[in-house]
Amino acid sequence: MQPEYKSKYNTHVIRIVLVLAVVAVVGVTVRSMVIPESFGKYGHYRADAIKDEVNRPIRNGTNAACLSCHPYIREMHLEGIHRTVSCEFCHGPVADHVKDGKVVAKLPKKQGEEIKTLCLRCHNKIIRARPKEAIKMISMPEHLEQKHVRTDHNCNQCHNVHSPMMWVLEARAIVGVEEESK
Amino acid sequence: MMDAIQSEISRDRRAFIKKVLGGTIAGSLLLVIPAGAMDVPEQIPGMREQEGPFIKGKKFVFIVDITRCIGCGSCCVADKNEYQVPDGNYRTWVERYVIDDHDNVYVDSPNGGLDGYQKPRTDIPHPVRDTFFVPKLCNMCEKPSCVQVCPVGATYQTKDGFVLIDQKRCVACSYCVQACPYSVRFINPKTKTADKCTWCYHRVRKGLLPACVNVCPVQARKFGDVNDRNSEVYKILHQPHVVSVLKPGMGNKPSLHYVGLRREVV
Ligand code: SF4
Ligand code: SF4
Repeated sequence: MQPEYKSKYNTHVIRIVLVLAVVAVVGVTVRSMVIPESFGKYGHYRADAIKDEVNRPIRNGTNAACLSCHPYIREMHLEGIHRTVSCEFCHGPVADHVKDGKVVAKLPKKQGEEIKTLCLRCHNKIIRARPKEAIKMISMPEHLEQKHVRTDHNCNQCHNVHSPMMWVLEARAIVGVEEESK
Repeated sequence: MMDAIQSEISRDRRAFIKKVLGGTIAGSLLLVIPAGAMDVPEQIPGMREQEGPFIKGKKFVFIVDITRCIGCGSCCVADKNEYQVPDGNYRTWVERYVIDDHDNVYVDSPNGGLDGYQKPRTDIPHPVRDTFFVPKLCNMCEKPSCVQVCPVGATYQTKDGFVLIDQKRCVACSYCVQACPYSVRFINPKTKTADKCTWCYHRVRKGLLPACVNVCPVQARKFGDVNDRNSEVYKILHQPHVVSVLKPGMGNKPSLHYVGLRREVV
């Protein structure tokens, strides 16, 4: 028979238990420090992150916001075919213009060549990918030649950018010119 | 949690009504417009009455109509303005497809379409068979692979179906950028976190349409509640239309649908 060995000392057991306890305490503390409070409330994410996202500032208003302060433009803009064109597309976001109900800065008005570039973003016939059903397209400078105006003319010399046919129709009514067949 | 936001909304609404009333008496010139946009007429009916952390009773879908997009890039401009996206990064962008009669496909997207398309492609050797624009954005997948791979729970899906990013938790490991089959994610160099299109969650929660939908001059971008049988999106999705999603084989189940999608589009 083998003699039964039994240690009188159980310090090694105590040591292991102590180490495990320390690891557990440190683990739990670190975990509670690292994992944010609202984490896991609705899923594997921080619930308050939704709040953060909702509170993101709105920078683009709508045409309704712009036109509520600019009644003169409103009248023109909503009358013509350009009523679906966004104010902020050409002039920049309303948040740069109005803050807390006060006008903080002027938004830029496009000038000269910039206007032509903007017009051609939509109306340039040379870009063939545009569906004809969606937009009226023109080629430059043929359009100017056809209308017998100088080819260095800018679009906004005949077309009001907010209501493209306004001046043309007015001129026609005054002088009684007939539109040439296209 | 949402109560605070809700009370803020109604407070702003009250303030606005007061201002409007003041304005009508004192002349419309005094009408002041707070930038909070709470004053802007509600564009998505019933959103401002919503309470609680998630949108109830609505299922939002996004539809892009390729047969209408003119490639003006208004949507890209609005998006950049709304989020102040650093140059060279795009939350949404517009691609130009050109397919020649040899079935070669050419795709380009100069500056993501942000400057519009001013020049035609001159490098196509054969006659063009088909050409069109394809706007791209987050597909808001029902089974988002980006959420699955995030190791810290920074990319998540809300109960109302939006896939969002927690800017405070993201460690920019880029796993999600890799995992998204639609390449809509990027690491934002300003915030040093992952970033992507959110379908303008902050606007939608306040009853406004996504910025890109608002500005599209030809209504090529549509956003709405598919649970509402009178909505345009419901009608489109329930018509014998050719409606399709990108990469259906990936199994991500996008909530972004395309009208007039060609098989060449990836
Ligand atoms: S604003 Fe509309 S038409 Fe213009 S590029 Fe975007 S989706 Fe296409
Ligand atoms: S499109 Fe990409 S980023 Fe958007 S939900 Fe799907 S996998 Fe995620």
